Amino acid sequence: MRAPVRWLKDYVNFDEAPEVLGERLTMAGIPVEGIERPCEGLRNIVTGLIRSVDPHPNAERLSVCQLDLGDKTVKIVTAATNVRAGQIVPVALSGAVLADGKIIESADFRGVLSEGMLCSAEEILGDTKIIAPEKREGIYVLPADTQLGQDIRPVMGLDDVTLEFELTANRADCFSVLGIAREIGVLSGNKAVRPLLNLQENGQGKAVEMATIEIREPDLCKRFCARILTNVRIGESPLWMQHRLQAAGMRPISNVVDVTNFVMLELGLPMHAYDYSLLAKHSIIVRRAVDGEKLTTLDGVKRELNSEMLVIADALQPVGIAGVMGGLATEVSASTKTVLLEAAAFYGPSVRRTSRGLGLRSEASGRFERGVDVAAIPLAIDRAVQLLAEMGACDVVPGIIDVYPKAVLPAQFDFTPQWINRYLGSDISADTMVDILQKLEFTVKVGSESITVTAPTWRHDVTGPVDIAEEVSRIYGYDNIPSTRPVGPLHSGGASRQNNLLDTARDLMTGFGFCETLSFSFSHPSFFEHLRLPVDSPLRNAIPIMNPITDEFPILRTTLMAGLLDTVARNLSRKNEDLKIYEVGTTHHAVRLPLDTHPEEVYRLCGAMVGRRDGTEWCHSRDNVDFFDAKGTVESLLTGLGISEWKVAASQAPWLHPGKQADFIVDEVAVATVGALHPSVQEAFGISRPVYLFKVNLTDLSPHCNVGAKAYSPLPKYPSITRDMALVLPDSVAAADVLAAVRNAGGELLVDSRLFDVYTGDRVEKGTRSLAISLVFRAPDRTLTDEEVDAPMGKLVQHIETAFAAKLRS
Amino acid sequence: MEQELQRIRTAAFGELEQAQDVAAVSELRVKVLGKKGDLTAVLRGMGAMDPAERPRIGQLVNDLRQDFETALNARFELLKEAELNKRLAAEKIDITLPGRLRELGRRHPLTLALDRIKAVFLQMGFDIEEGPEVESDYYNFEALNLPPDHPARDMQDSFYITEQFLLRTHTSPVQVRTMQSQQPNSPIRMIAPGKVYRRDYDATHSPMFQQVEGLVVGPDICFADLKGTLELFCQGIFGDSVKVRFRPSYFPFTEPSAEVDISCVICKGKGCRVCKGTGWLEILGSGMVHPKVLEMSNYDPSQVSGFAFGMGVERIAMLAFGIDDMRLFYENDVRFLRRF
Repeated sequence: MRAPVRWLKDYVNFDEAPEVLGERLTMAGIPVEGIERPCEGLRNIVTGLIRSVDPHPNAERLSVCQLDLGDKTVKIVTAATNVRAGQIVPVALSGAVLADGKIIESADFRGVLSEGMLCSAEEILGDTKIIAPEKREGIYVLPADTQLGQDIRPVMGLDDVTLEFELTANRADCFSVLGIAREIGVLSGNKAVRPLLNLQENGQGKAVEMATIEIREPDLCKRFCARILTNVRIGESPLWMQHRLQAAGMRPISNVVDVTNFVMLELGLPMHAYDYSLLAKHSIIVRRAVDGEKLTTLDGVKRELNSEMLVIADALQPVGIAGVMGGLATEVSASTKTVLLEAAAFYGPSVRRTSRGLGLRSEASGRFERGVDVAAIPLAIDRAVQLLAEMGACDVVPGIIDVYPKAVLPAQFDFTPQWINRYLGSDISADTMVDILQKLEFTVKVGSESITVTAPTWRHDVTGPVDIAEEVSRIYGYDNIPSTRPVGPLHSGGASRQNNLLDTARDLMTGFGFCETLSFSFSHPSFFEHLRLPVDSPLRNAIPIMNPITDEFPILRTTLMAGLLDTVARNLSRKNEDLKIYEVGTTHHAVRLPLDTHPEEVYRLCGAMVGRRDGTEWCHSRDNVDFFDAKGTVESLLTGLGISEWKVAASQAPWLHPGKQADFIVDEVAVATVGALHPSVQEAFGISRPVYLFKVNLTDLSPHCNVGAKAYSPLPKYPSITRDMALVLPDSVAAADVLAAVRNAGGELLVDSRLFDVYTGDRVEKGTRSLAISLVFRAPDRTLTDEEVDAPMGKLVQHIETAFAAKLRS
Repeated sequence: MEQELQRIRTAAFGELEQAQDVAAVSELRVKVLGKKGDLTAVLRGMGAMDPAERPRIGQLVNDLRQDFETALNARFELLKEAELNKRLAAEKIDITLPGRLRELGRRHPLTLALDRIKAVFLQMGFDIEEGPEVESDYYNFEALNLPPDHPARDMQDSFYITEQFLLRTHTSPVQVRTMQSQQPNSPIRMIAPGKVYRRDYDATHSPMFQQVEGLVVGPDICFADLKGTLELFCQGIFGDSVKVRFRPSYFPFTEPSAEVDISCVICKGKGCRVCKGTGWLEILGSGMVHPKVLEMSNYDPSQVSGFAFGMGVERIAMLAFGIDDMRLFYENDVRFLRRF
């Protein structure tokens, strides 16, 4: 919404500078987004009468014009072809500044000195959208009665300041200059006044006999008023009105259309003018469209309608989409002699649905969506008719056709100042509250117990005491309300177990040297191919988005892997070659598709390692990360999350190297997978280096985690005995199986075992390897002797040798 | 005999002076004081001496032994230290070579911002709540006083899954969910961080971003409490000197509503590019919970009142860290991530 300051001053007095006024309005809930001084930079452009246009002696395409500036004459060379003697045009004199900042100097054009330049609309305005298309090209020609030698800015109405508002959706009443003026009136103490009505109905006949109006959908059309204008003389509207419209950002079109736009901007009530002679049977029916019915709207687009949409129809067919846009066929044109003028109120949600459905939004639809002042409709139509009559554009047929099935009453309710003060935490006197409300044109009745208010008809956003709290507080000033702290029983704040678990996981990952990443929850099905997912993979069961933002993101992610691998690829392409990254986030899994219940949201952690294990300084090892870095990260993570027992088993994830991947199994559930990225997946993601990937299902893991208090068990009192053994076993024997067997067979004195070396090479037989295991024995109640350890040790070695065809290496 | 002792003394001290390393000193100790040493030999010869002389000579031997031992030990320590110093000098390294760096892990800047926000509210006794990201139209809109076709739905262009489900456009549904999970009218102090989604994508809008919702409900919770609490929060995040301004606004689920501005953290309120010359930065939306919202959540507006607020985590992180493009957060360039 734009409100030119001069226009505002038609209804309310104020002296504040626009900036000060803007700040006060903003702080009262009428947010001023900008203060515009159009064409502020223009300098030294004046009006001039073309006395003569002569061909340039030395240039075929140029003309030499003599310009009468009132007090002097200048000679100007122009290339424009639309200049004629007798026109009054804008003349940029030497030293002039144009809209784009360009400075004009006198210049010699092939032997003729040009003392300036004739201007086009664009050179003055910068943007020509508020100028009729036929006036955008060539030199801008001013009205014939323009005074000569005048500064162009007032002549073209460019010397006003315009306030630009970013209004909130509740303040429908402020989508008009009068509405803004009212708010200024409340803040400045000078009440705003409405335009004076003094309509002379000078035409023949009676309006009610000339047309019929029927509302078939009273829920969607609350009121419909019409007036009939005869002897219409279509032409331009007066300059002052054109300038007002232009300052508000609208393009003047013709007197009738300009007046409807003017009153819409002035009072907030959209109107429409029909060529009366083109309305079949001179009748108007407000009804739902028939499915498939078509209408070509004013913008020339043929639109298909449906029964959800409200239309204005004549006896035969739709002539307009109610509240959105009129039809082309019944548009007022130069030949129009009789006009039926409509001012109506349509139901906001319905207008909104229709305008969205058609992708067609207009100044009118925006106002109807928010809601118009139903009570003011006759006033608005009379205002429009009066303006047209005053400019001699028509005769006014006596009478107004007003169809108003059910009166819309403003809200009326009681409140107490005590309640308002308690709600706000303020101490505002009842008198102050009453004063504020009266300034806002509420009807206020002070009773002994409470105050009864009736909202003005334009304030349908006000429905109860909380709205009074808002009105009082915003005018009283939020700054003037004290700051206090809520009082209540002490309560120790806390986070959910889930939240704490995620936080601990992040802490651990930070400790392991990983950077946390965050990717969008959106994904693309092509990633399923990239990840080599089989057709029946549950990960393919992604939730589609009806209206994705780009083709890239049509679904919700079912895995964090794709996003993370994308991040790997992006970083590698930027030469960030050594990566330890992870993401913690949710994936979304539909129980059924299409979705009929909330999908499952699973918290996951996914990590990737690429490149060097350590840094790249002189002292770091040159080794690259491998499977065991990733596996170790998961092991440390699980330990850090308080999980003490898990199994590791070979897994079959299609996105991983078939021989380098494993699942972590806790309580029979695979909670984590780790492995080397499959080379094909690597290639699909455009990744040039090996990636080690791990993913952990934190939701499944959560019940097993212990991130809170830990129980302490005393440190051992007696020393331990450590024995090392090296076993030579066939390659095919899994180390985990050996370690598990060691733990099982070690007896109760074995308290720890650790694999400290793996050897394959010349010193063992081909097809075998040596596993060196360190064993720690300890008794809780005494110092062990070597002899006491010999027995379990011997049993253990014997067991392993038989179980795995192993040999003790000497 | 005395002459003999004098000779031993002269020779021993002379040799001690000549000893250039710890080994020579140790040898000398054996030579003079050892079992086969010079002094031991003298003591052995005492038996043949006039018994009247013995105590005096014995005394002389002991004096010599003590004197020499002291000198010997001093010399030993001196040489030992010299040798240590020599070794240490030889072991000198170029300490200007870079150290073996431990790679630092990092939390994402948005996580860090969220950590700070959470910490401030946890200190104030707030709980941290959560809610689903795929939300029903009812919780995302209707229960927040946004019936279908309400014009304010335009403020939040939504991603729809079906007619009924959408990606939540704000964390406000958690207000409703929290109230519904409580005994009606029981007091609440909570924040709910989470991801939200809107159809907007440029340098200042991301289709996915994070919000923190807040809700305080209780008997006699008032607008002044809203002001006091959010002032405390802003100071907790941006420092005690930050100025806070409350500006009337509109949200369908609160009444009255307020946008909360802080004095620009970049220019300290003087006016700059970041605050568009106004000196103020908008960082929160807030308001008194609309009675209709309380009612729909089974809370009785005649018994309790409350305030709610919501903030964008990206916005706060951008201001707190001086980041000017929101897209950086989701690009995950590790050079960016390692800055925090």
